[in-house]
Amino acid sequence: MYFLHDMERTITLHPSFFGPRVKEYIRGRLMEDVEGTCTGQFYIICVMDTDTQDFSEGRVVPGSAVAEYTVHYRAVVWRPFKGETVDAIVSSVNREGIFADVGPLPTFVSKHMIPSDIKWDPNATPPQFTDNGDQVIEKGTHLRIKIMGTRSDVGSMFAIGSIKEDFLGTL
Amino acid sequence: MLLRLPASLHYPITVTELLKQPNDNVERCAPLFSYSYETQVTEGDNLGNTWQAKKKYPTRFESSVEGVLINWKIDEGAVISKPNVDIAEIEEPCAHSVQFGGMCVTCGKDMSESSYVTEHLDSTRATINMVHNNVSLTISENEAARADDEAKRRLLASRKLSLVVDLDQTIIQATVDPTVADWQKDEHNPNHDAVKDVRAFLLKDDGPGNRGCWYYIKLRPGLTDFLENVSKIYELHIYTMGTRAYAKNIADIIDPEHRIFGDRILSRDESGSSTAKNLQRLFPVDTKMVVIIDDRGDVWKWSPNLIKVTPYDFFVGIGDINSSFLPKKPGPKPSQKAMAIAAPKPRDDQTEAATEEEPQPKINGNANEETETPSTEESEAPATNNVSALEQLVAMGGSDDPATRQAQTTRQDEALAAQLEDRPLLQKQKQLEAEDAATESTAAKEDGDSGNASPSSDDPGDSDKPKHNLLRDYDRELFQLEESLHKVHTEFYDIYYRQLSAAQGGRLGQLRGGQKRKLPSEKSDLDLVPDIKIVLPSVKSKVLAGVAIVFSGVVPLGVDVGSTDSAILARSFGARIEENVSRSTTHVVAARNRTLKVRKAIKRGKGRIKIVNPQWLTDSINRWSKVDERPYFLDTEGKNGPQEDDDDILSESESPSASESGEETDNSSRLSKPTLTLETKPNHSQVDPDESDVEDIALSELDVDEASPVGGTNEDWSGMNDELAEFLGSDAEDSDGDSVASGDTNGSSALGMRGKKRGRDENDSGGESEDGGAGKVKKKQAVGNGLTSLSQTTLAELDGEENEKNGHDKEAGVEAAENGEKEGEGENEDGDGWSEFEDELERELEKDGSEDHGEG
Repeated sequence: MYFLHDMERTITLHPSFFGPRVKEYIRGRLMEDVEGTCTGQFYIICVMDTDTQDFSEGRVVPGSAVAEYTVHYRAVVWRPFKGETVDAIVSSVNREGIFADVGPLPTFVSKHMIPSDIKWDPNATPPQFTDNGDQVIEKGTHLRIKIMGTRSDVGSMFAIGSIKEDFLGTL
Repeated sequence: MLLRLPASLHYPITVTELLKQPNDNVERCAPLFSYSYETQVTEGDNLGNTWQAKKKYPTRFESSVEGVLINWKIDEGAVISKPNVDIAEIEEPCAHSVQFGGMCVTCGKDMSESSYVTEHLDSTRATINMVHNNVSLTISENEAARADDEAKRRLLASRKLSLVVDLDQTIIQATVDPTVADWQKDEHNPNHDAVKDVRAFLLKDDGPGNRGCWYYIKLRPGLTDFLENVSKIYELHIYTMGTRAYAKNIADIIDPEHRIFGDRILSRDESGSSTAKNLQRLFPVDTKMVVIIDDRGDVWKWSPNLIKVTPYDFFVGIGDINSSFLPKKPGPKPSQKAMAIAAPKPRDDQTEAATEEEPQPKINGNANEETETPSTEESEAPATNNVSALEQLVAMGGSDDPATRQAQTTRQDEALAAQLEDRPLLQKQKQLEAEDAATESTAAKEDGDSGNASPSSDDPGDSDKPKHNLLRDYDRELFQLEESLHKVHTEFYDIYYRQLSAAQGGRLGQLRGGQKRKLPSEKSDLDLVPDIKIVLPSVKSKVLAGVAIVFSGVVPLGVDVGSTDSAILARSFGARIEENVSRSTTHVVAARNRTLKVRKAIKRGKGRIKIVNPQWLTDSINRWSKVDERPYFLDTEGKNGPQEDDDDILSESESPSASESGEETDNSSRLSKPTLTLETKPNHSQVDPDESDVEDIALSELDVDEASPVGGTNEDWSGMNDELAEFLGSDAEDSDGDSVASGDTNGSSALGMRGKKRGRDENDSGGESEDGGAGKVKKKQAVGNGLTSLSQTTLAELDGEENEKNGHDKEAGVEAAENGEKEGEGENEDGDGWSEFEDELERELEKDGSEDHGEG
């Protein structure tokens, strides 16, 4: 689910950047550092309102020449929840199940979480899950998945999903 | 799941009450039963007195898993005195047998949670990586076994095996040298032909500065057909030490439709080890149906599933760009550098042997010439780092130090940067051209070789092309490999069907005709599957069965013959490796034609022992068949010449270990020689710790043999003489740059007289007078370098041959004597002629020694 989230970040600047364009530079740095990262709880999708961001005064760090700026910013973040239904693209399939990417989130759909009529077919090229009808799940297939659980490590998240429910599966 | 008592309780315990009944739900941490234990405690009163007392405490045991209690394995009132006793069986709602990123894929629970009751983290239940392209998915052993059975059935049904394919230098070669692109564009470049079908791709986040880096990929000739054909009988997997992105790009090139490899690509990122490849990573349960093809045997620890492939070395001097993660191959080979200088010939021969992938037999004379062109020696400077794969592997053996992955990555980056910067190919081509110019005046014959002159493993094929392009494209390995794979596949399924029909009722069942008995059970039909680890070696071992090989001049000095790459390979193909020429020897694989062992083989083999160049072995191994030796026969005729030059070579090659003092000792030992009997010497030499040269060992054996009656009949002798005479006749061809010391001419004449007039005189005098100078110079160099050959000299003593080593002057004489008496057949008879002979030797030795000294 997407949220607007207020956050704060400290950016240190080398003295060579001190000057009239310092704010512009800080904004650039913020985007570069923050957008597309994963905090372990959510993904930061996009930094908002870049013109109205609130920068603190720069403060030179004692003992070195770099300056610290604290930036308050608002960002669109995405946090996957257990039970949420999301769309994904299959990245690979194997006999244990399906790897799919929900945006930045790597997700695995176990064979237990796949309707029983969709079977693993290792002899197909490429190997695929299929019900021998119109449902073929192979690399690149679009899937609708229900997230059954998420887990976060430092800077990364994993999810497991299911397509064993009505209205889930290939799109 | 069966619950067991942990070791942490205070045993013995007495179970007092079972708190749950079968079919009860058990939550995590819920009390299962109560028990009591006794312990010693210190009690005290208000007066400060303390005493020990035994007390009994009641407590409860809590469940570490949740689920439904099936049954109890203990009774109320039981006394349990040790841990690991089964207490109860609890059926869990989920066995967590497949986990993804630390979560159970079935129930979604976090597998890394732990609490005070946790004995084993749930994540330990599924530890096996089963999937090629993802390390975050792990499965349990049971699940893996099931998957494996399924996969095996599938393969059996389609009559396939699994084939694990290495990329770099096995089916492709990659380089980042931008010279390739230049050559591709330039149609007039001599290398244009060779590189025009080189494929390229850009890897973004690779290479120095993360700017991306172009990789140039040369497919091994015949690759497309090879993959196409092999994929009909094998299921192919890629296992590479390159990055995932690299592997993917290569796969896109060699298998654009992903029909052959599919997703079965395992790269460095998922390998789990940066120094070794492990079949268990792909086939955790068993590897019965897996064949590997790789150019490096060591990374697989010479797994019996492995078919070792000759490394594909198209971009000369580039090697394997992903090898910085593997055990390091020696670059300039510090330890052997000295040897490289001192012994250009053996090294060159080896290089040829190892890198020549061309199956066409080389002409012997040609081979000799190649090694002997002056340019070979001139350019011998160990500047480039491409030594023969054989040697690399040999030297690499012990160098598998556990460097950090970070360091390796850095090294890889550096290597790439260096390649980008230095453009080794361009440099080599320039060098080649420069050499061409230099050698233009020399005989046309030689120029091919001058191309080879760079110590990097240029191909010997050079000689037949008038234009000098660095790169050439003649590799035939894949065609042979395909045959080998076919053979293995056929053999495997032959055995399988044989066993299957046997199991289905054997002969009786067959007689009954179509009435097939039911297979005993699903499981056991998989038990019938033969093991490739047995099938493959048995197929291979038929190739050279009955062959007993002695290496001569092939293995670098100081290396244990048995542990070298070629020996391991030869052995795996059924050959027996012997240290010395003996009665059972059938082949001598010699890089040079006048080594002691070769001479011995000629003397004693009487045509029975085939003396071949290393290419014979390489080709036989490559083709998986004992190829006809004839085209590979070593030009043994050169042997009769002023020879014993090999001793010279030996001393040169040995030189690293040699020293002035060595020389001295040798002299002294030589002096003492008269007192030593032949029989004792062998032992002496063998004990010598310096004794590193294989050849030397041969000497000792020689002595022993001399006393034996083998082949001692007169007829044999005359036959031998004839043979020798024949050899001698062709002496002129034999260009032995090696050796001959000054003064040979005299010796040779003496030899001629003594040596039963074999007509060698002409040859000797001719060859020697020319060569003599060079030989002497070389020798001086060796001495000057402080390299003497202690070990050799000791050996030399054994025979009358010592002289050769030191002073070639005597050589001839000695040789003659030798020939006359020993070679010629003197096996039993070293009676009178001998003593006289010895005296002469003595004298010469002394002279020699002093000479050498002076030189040193």
